Amino acid sequence: MTIRAITGLVALNVGFAVMGASFLWAVRGFARWSDALRLGGLGYLLGVAAFGTVWTQFLVLGLPFGGWGVILTLVGGTVAACLVGVRLGRSRPRGFAGLGPTSTASLLVTASGVALVGLLLEAFFRSARLQSLQAFDAWAFWVPKAKAIYFFGGLDEQVFTTSAGPTYPPLVPIVDAAAFHAMGSADTVTFHLQFWFLVTGAVVAIAGCLYRHAPAWALWPSILLVLVVPRFGERLMTPQADVLVDVLFVLGALLLALSLRDWRGWRLAAVAVLFAGATLTKREGLLYVGLALVVAFAASWSRKRVAWPALASVAAVVIAAAVPWRLWYRSHDIAGEAPPSLGAGAAFERALDSLRLSWNVLFDTSLWSVVPFVLVIALAIGLAWGDRRLAAFFAVLTILVFFGGAWVTYSYRDLPITENEALNPIVRYTGAIVVLAAAAMPLLVASAWTGNRERET
Amino acid sequence: MRAAGIRGLVIAYWLGVVLVAIVVRYPDTFHDANETARANASLDLSDRELGGGNSVVPDQGLMIEARGRIPLDGTFAVAVGERQEGWTDLTATFAETYARYYLLPRRAAPNAPWILCFACDRAAFPEAEAVWEGEDGLAILSLPR
Repeated sequence: MTIRAITGLVALNVGFAVMGASFLWAVRGFARWSDALRLGGLGYLLGVAAFGTVWTQFLVLGLPFGGWGVILTLVGGTVAACLVGVRLGRSRPRGFAGLGPTSTASLLVTASGVALVGLLLEAFFRSARLQSLQAFDAWAFWVPKAKAIYFFGGLDEQVFTTSAGPTYPPLVPIVDAAAFHAMGSADTVTFHLQFWFLVTGAVVAIAGCLYRHAPAWALWPSILLVLVVPRFGERLMTPQADVLVDVLFVLGALLLALSLRDWRGWRLAAVAVLFAGATLTKREGLLYVGLALVVAFAASWSRKRVAWPALASVAAVVIAAAVPWRLWYRSHDIAGEAPPSLGAGAAFERALDSLRLSWNVLFDTSLWSVVPFVLVIALAIGLAWGDRRLAAFFAVLTILVFFGGAWVTYSYRDLPITENEALNPIVRYTGAIVVLAAAAMPLLVASAWTGNRERET
Repeated sequence: MRAAGIRGLVIAYWLGVVLVAIVVRYPDTFHDANETARANASLDLSDRELGGGNSVVPDQGLMIEARGRIPLDGTFAVAVGERQEGWTDLTATFAETYARYYLLPRRAAPNAPWILCFACDRAAFPEAEAVWEGEDGLAILSLPR
């Protein structure tokens, strides 16, 4: 709760952003500093995902986690990315031109959007700064795992095998442990701000990625709406993995969708890092990433010679990142994440009940306000008048994620058919569709508004 | 021309619904965040430090004393007996889970020299000395080393 702890957190998160931005510069290059600024949020989340993914492998290998390890990883990652950038002939960014909106109306909408989002994030900051650790899952296993990494320097066998959720991947505990080192103690109050940084980074990332692809009047209302739905708000800072897995999945899906237009290599490199991070953040990450890649393979059928090898490379990176953690827990006699027999053999009535539950949760306005309704409208707009391939990508992905949620309830037969979050994860799971809406809606509406005219990247 | 008009109308409808929802939801979300900030700021240090433990452990003194008395490399066990009047529904079930979180890096171990006693059967620890006793049957017992 001290300025020293907050300063440490700021330094850590700047470190994530610098490392991720260096990676982006290496794979993409920045013509201007304004490009670096615009994609700063994406760079930040790439830094978080890369840091967590690399440290998951290190911890599985038995390397000790400590303050110097955090610093060396961030500095080493930044230097390595810069060296790759130099090797690839990337030039230093110059000037700030090109960031401003093109018209007075656009400037006003952007200013209003930034002000309203900024005001909300400032209120979230104040609510998180002195927040006590209340969430059951947080003190039952997420934070004990983080404390174990912080105090014992690794995947402590007692804590990681006897706590609830032993198969849950360690990316969030790793980021939490890095936050403890940055703050100078296992301060479970101030560390809520780490989740504020993640939420802020996600907002900046989505806005930055869409800035040149969607008009301000479509972009900022979509982001604002998702931030203020009843289920989110300040709950976005709950120190669990649900929001981060949603954000990494959605940003990866957004970059995949944009790739459908031009297959730019840098986007797929970023997707690989984000998706690798998602699979190591939460078990659902595997399902989300698998679905997104399947849809991307199908959507790129007509360009399969170019697209499929690139997508296969992304899948290979994700698998290589996800496997070691699974080997670690299996080597400690912990059963796998998949449901028994993948759910085969359960009663047909249970399938119908699971579907009905997913439907009721998705369209529950007391949870998600009107987000699912306006997402459906935006998908219809995109399919009718916009970029149909893009709209089909988001539509099929949304439907598959929806059915994925129903499958989770159906196949884990010990889960009761209920919206009670303590008993069934369907509400938290559905959050991914709502976050996806924030990224998909501006693109879909914009593609229809501009008459399917492809915008310059 | 007509198709463009319909397209414009549908997009305007989409934007209208989004904006109305924001107008309805934004003040509540902002107000809730401010209320939470105010409530968090008014908590005393112990309430803030224990967080969810306030719903599990009936007497904050137990956890605070345990942190002060058990060395960082020490071990503890949790022994739970009959439910007492001041306990919540979570006490008996989650006392050990919470203690494992709160007391880290101190570890839980079955034959530990420190016992967090929740109205436990003290006869099961004949050599143990109560070094702290609170309300609702809570105590910290220490076994001779």
